[in-house]
Amino acid sequence: MSFIGRALAILRKDLQAEWRTKERLSPMVFFTLLVLLVFNFSFELGGAALREIGPGVLWSSYVFASLLGLGRSFADEHENDALDALLLAPGDHGAIYLGKMVGNLVFLLAIELLSLPFFALFFNLSLGFFLVPLLAVFVLGSACLASVGTLFAAMSNNMRLRELLLPLLLLPMILPALISCVAATKIVLANGHFTELLPHMQMLGVYAVVFTVLSLMLFEYAIEE
Amino acid sequence: MRSTLVSYVLFAAMLIALAAVFLWVPTEKEMGIIQRIFYFHVPSAMSAFLAFFLVFIGSIQYLRTREEKWDRLALSAAELGVMFGLIVLITGPLWAKPVWGVYWRWEPRLTSMLITFTIYVAYLMVRDYGAQASQAPRLGAVMGILAFANVPLVYYAVDLWSADQQLHPPRNVGLEPTMEYAKWICYATFFLLLFHLVAQRMELARIESAVVRLRQKLDDA
Repeated sequence: MSFIGRALAILRKDLQAEWRTKERLSPMVFFTLLVLLVFNFSFELGGAALREIGPGVLWSSYVFASLLGLGRSFADEHENDALDALLLAPGDHGAIYLGKMVGNLVFLLAIELLSLPFFALFFNLSLGFFLVPLLAVFVLGSACLASVGTLFAAMSNNMRLRELLLPLLLLPMILPALISCVAATKIVLANGHFTELLPHMQMLGVYAVVFTVLSLMLFEYAIEE
Repeated sequence: MRSTLVSYVLFAAMLIALAAVFLWVPTEKEMGIIQRIFYFHVPSAMSAFLAFFLVFIGSIQYLRTREEKWDRLALSAAELGVMFGLIVLITGPLWAKPVWGVYWRWEPRLTSMLITFTIYVAYLMVRDYGAQASQAPRLGAVMGILAFANVPLVYYAVDLWSADQQLHPPRNVGLEPTMEYAKWICYATFFLLLFHLVAQRMELARIESAVVRLRQKLDDA
């Protein structure tokens, strides 16, 4: 099987398993709503403050949700030592990373899109044309999270204290992308001009590409027993 | 023997640097005496980044060769990079208070240093608390490479985020000649200190792992 073929096989398996159980998706969407609720009481979000801190709230809740979701992405492979079997399969292990990474990307996007209507409802955001560029921000931002997140999930899976260490690893690394996600979302919600948006989108694109490529190269070392 | 010699050279260099900073250079006109912290602040920042670069080199070489010495280099340089980073984050606010009026501003260079610092603290924590001894060098190396790749991205993103908050002078600000000399003396002293400490720390790590191996041998016997 080709590299892409093997990555697609992993992706299909993960999506199928998730589709049948929904054991990651439903709790994560609910968790995102709970975080939004917590932020609402912490910051008195309604009204004028929304445009200032709304994007930050949105992305903070996605990042926290992704921490939980990414942590699970290799946990299932632990049962019956499925990961060992995957690693025994011939060929470059990067395909496992790529399949898992795209799976996580799809999964994060699903969470974001499912919780966005609630964000709009709670915070009186009228839906409109901005949804198109917002979707682009979501895709790039989720790609950034999934790129390093999948590698760190694989690494922390074997560690002691893994629930504690995944956030420690991921949060500081993801900060530059998070900064641009929040800034880009703010510009989109304020109907800002495309030229304002572009540098942030470039930043997110570069981040996603750099860390996807590096992770593909390093996954071999991250996963070996 | 060699390290004793380096210690003496380092001690002399430090005396010269201190004399240059406190006796030789003129006091800056606008900021006054506080500006002298510059000669510790900036070389510490450079030393921190040099140390992070050493982590990067050590990590790549460890994955290529699997020789323990490269891992010892990465670990030692990471610890010292964090230490020099801490010096930057302490001297920065001390300098900022009289000049900017507050200890902390979310100013690009300071923010970038803080983020970079947290990345390497996380590196050390994961190595210490998370990884088993056998996997720490390998996982550390993966992190060391990713962390260094992140440094330019951190700077770029933070600059985009708060370019209007920029309070640091531009990089090639003109210095008075004696100040320029003093700066280079301080750079040389700090770099020497960094290399000396990295060498000492690597030696310590080598002895530590030798002790662990000896103890295992005793247990087995």
